[in-house]
Amino acid sequence: MRRVSKAPRRFTRTEARSARAASGFLLPFLALFLLCFIAPIAYALYESLLKVERTGPLGLGGETKQVWAGLSNYAHALEDDRFTAGFGRVLLFGAVQIPLMIAFATALALLLDAASARWVGFFRTAFFLPYGVPGVIASILWGFLYVPGISPLVEMADSMGWEVDFLGRGAVLWSIANIVTWQFTGYNMLVLIAQLKAVPGELYEAARIDGANAWQVARHIKLPLIRPALVLTTVFSLIGTLQLFAEPKVLKPLSNSIDSGYTPNLAAYNEAFTSNNQHIAAAEAVLLALVACVLSFGFLRLVGRRGKDGDSG
Amino acid sequence: MSDTARNRNTWLSGAPRRAVLGGAAAAAAGFALAGCGSDDDGGGDPKGRKKGEKITLTFWSWVPGIDKPVDLWNSKNPEVRVKVEKVSAVDGAQYAKMHAAIKAGNPPDLGQIEYPVVPSFLVDNGLLDLTKYGVAEHKDMFVGWQWQQSVFGKAVYAVPQASGPMGLFIRQDLFDKWGIEPPTTWDEYEAAATAIRKKGAWIETFSATNGNRFAGLAWQAGARWFGTEGDTWTVSIDDEPTRKVADYWYDLARRKLIKTIPDRQNAWYKDVQTGSIAAWLGASWGDALLVGNAPKTAGKWRVVPMPQWKKGDASYANWGGSTTAVFAKTKYPKDALAFAIWLNTDPESIKLLIENGYGTPGAKQGYTTSQLDVHKDFFGGQAYSKVFDEASKGVDTSWKWGPATDTLYQRLGDAFTAAIGDGSDFRSVLKKVQGETITDLKEKGLKVKAG
Repeated sequence: MRRVSKAPRRFTRTEARSARAASGFLLPFLALFLLCFIAPIAYALYESLLKVERTGPLGLGGETKQVWAGLSNYAHALEDDRFTAGFGRVLLFGAVQIPLMIAFATALALLLDAASARWVGFFRTAFFLPYGVPGVIASILWGFLYVPGISPLVEMADSMGWEVDFLGRGAVLWSIANIVTWQFTGYNMLVLIAQLKAVPGELYEAARIDGANAWQVARHIKLPLIRPALVLTTVFSLIGTLQLFAEPKVLKPLSNSIDSGYTPNLAAYNEAFTSNNQHIAAAEAVLLALVACVLSFGFLRLVGRRGKDGDSG
Repeated sequence: MSDTARNRNTWLSGAPRRAVLGGAAAAAAGFALAGCGSDDDGGGDPKGRKKGEKITLTFWSWVPGIDKPVDLWNSKNPEVRVKVEKVSAVDGAQYAKMHAAIKAGNPPDLGQIEYPVVPSFLVDNGLLDLTKYGVAEHKDMFVGWQWQQSVFGKAVYAVPQASGPMGLFIRQDLFDKWGIEPPTTWDEYEAAATAIRKKGAWIETFSATNGNRFAGLAWQAGARWFGTEGDTWTVSIDDEPTRKVADYWYDLARRKLIKTIPDRQNAWYKDVQTGSIAAWLGASWGDALLVGNAPKTAGKWRVVPMPQWKKGDASYANWGGSTTAVFAKTKYPKDALAFAIWLNTDPESIKLLIENGYGTPGAKQGYTTSQLDVHKDFFGGQAYSKVFDEASKGVDTSWKWGPATDTLYQRLGDAFTAAIGDGSDFRSVLKKVQGETITDLKEKGLKVKAG
């Protein structure tokens, strides 16, 4: 855009051609974006504003009409204490699990990045491996380790005189946190390592010349430089937390402590597929998306601002 | 029943749950629904099959071994091939799939639907009224109350397959060893629970999430959760008989005389295998469940009748049971119906179904009682189907299911889960679920009031 001339801007032939070419590349993306992203959201929004009316004796056999419901589905969702309790639960979950997992991931990444680390490739793969296990399978595996009577862990604790109940009321949320942490720490670690690899080697050299030890290098060079990756993994984890579903769904039959609205996603699923109320489920899904949106953008703004303060200070 | 049994020890077990659980219930002597269902065939009369034309019907079922009778049908009816598509019965997934298919306009021709959930499909206009295709001619072949489960007004929506009268499975060897008599009343049951607890074992578990069994217990005590008044549904979950049942089990749980782990899960199977649980109030299809999951306890089990509230009564309940229903969208209603009737009345078909543990047949004939004692050896040679047979006769057939049973079970499960967690009494559960169920039915656009 180094155009200097003030003459009214006209497309040159080359420009027109490249614009056409660009739109040729963009169209498939746009089509998929509309079809797979915008359309479902719009449809969910639309469904969330309708309700069903039935006629006929006892509502059977008659006509079923969809009528405008205004915001009544949203009101219903918000009045359902199970649904709102689910939000409280995932937020508590996130407040504890995310910092822990990111701290683990960062520690592992720094350790594997340290010049003296051996068998880096092996450990990287080993830590990452749990991510390759689908959430449902992971939950089943861990479920075996939680169920009393089957679990070697419970048995071991028993023999040492501890009574543990991984699936009990107070514990089950943290048993789920354990599964999630096991699954995603390695994944987050990999993202952080990728960013660490991008740090120019001269910085380390300079630090060493200045007499910095490994800990100081990590603290003053590596950590600040992987900040964007930390922010990214935290936002992903935040969204993942709000969408918690497979773990409670799989553990539910094993535990008397997980109800059908244990997480907002589970509540929406049950509303749609057990109770067959797609409209309320749609409203719940929209609310969930809104909260996820507000929280992730809120977090980004928060760290963005702090980042700037830090720079200027 | 469907469900049957067979469920191995599936870990995810819910599966069995629903399935097993199934169904339900029963009885009903027919809803006195005034004439619903007059226009339920989803629009337009399907033309049906031309002579000699070869067609394929799809059948969604989760009953283990259902392919065996279906293969037999296919070998005898080359023109009307039936293709079984297995659907998961974990946690109601099969119904979620069916409802979604109805909404999307591409349901199968036939489906396995438990008695308690038939009304939820009617609310969706998902099932075909079979009276137009001559289903009434076959009525006499089926057990009366099972037939009535799918009758609404004059319309008949499904063909009965089997039911699950309840009885008490006990470890006779342990009861003998401990000198405890099998309980015949609920008072005796409590005494047995106390005695067994002293021996370091438990009589049973009260599973918070098992709404189906709780419904059976309430049913036996004389509760009638759903009814109709004119075109309004009535809901009476918080009624006296149910409160009596809730108080009883709350008391056992509070005094820690029973376990409160979920049933039919790995931990429960383990308890059953090791004898730390000495009994199970189950249904007739439960024989296969025990055989499949606790094979090493063979010979030690017996079946006794469900305990009574008053000594000498003969009031029983049903847990489980399902139908073969024809979906409204099918292009070949006559052939679908013919298959459904054959599947559930043909002696060879019933024999194959019984071998796979599908419960107590909905057909009056086509089997002998001794065929139902398939696992006789496991029960020490006892002709245990007699116990269930008697129970079947004592099931109050005025029980009716409402139009959102799955939701109801979930509500009950959630409320019991919370109550067991914080120690509050089970009456509060009934009050809560009563209110929630009324709201749920209103949400579905139905007229409803407290009964």
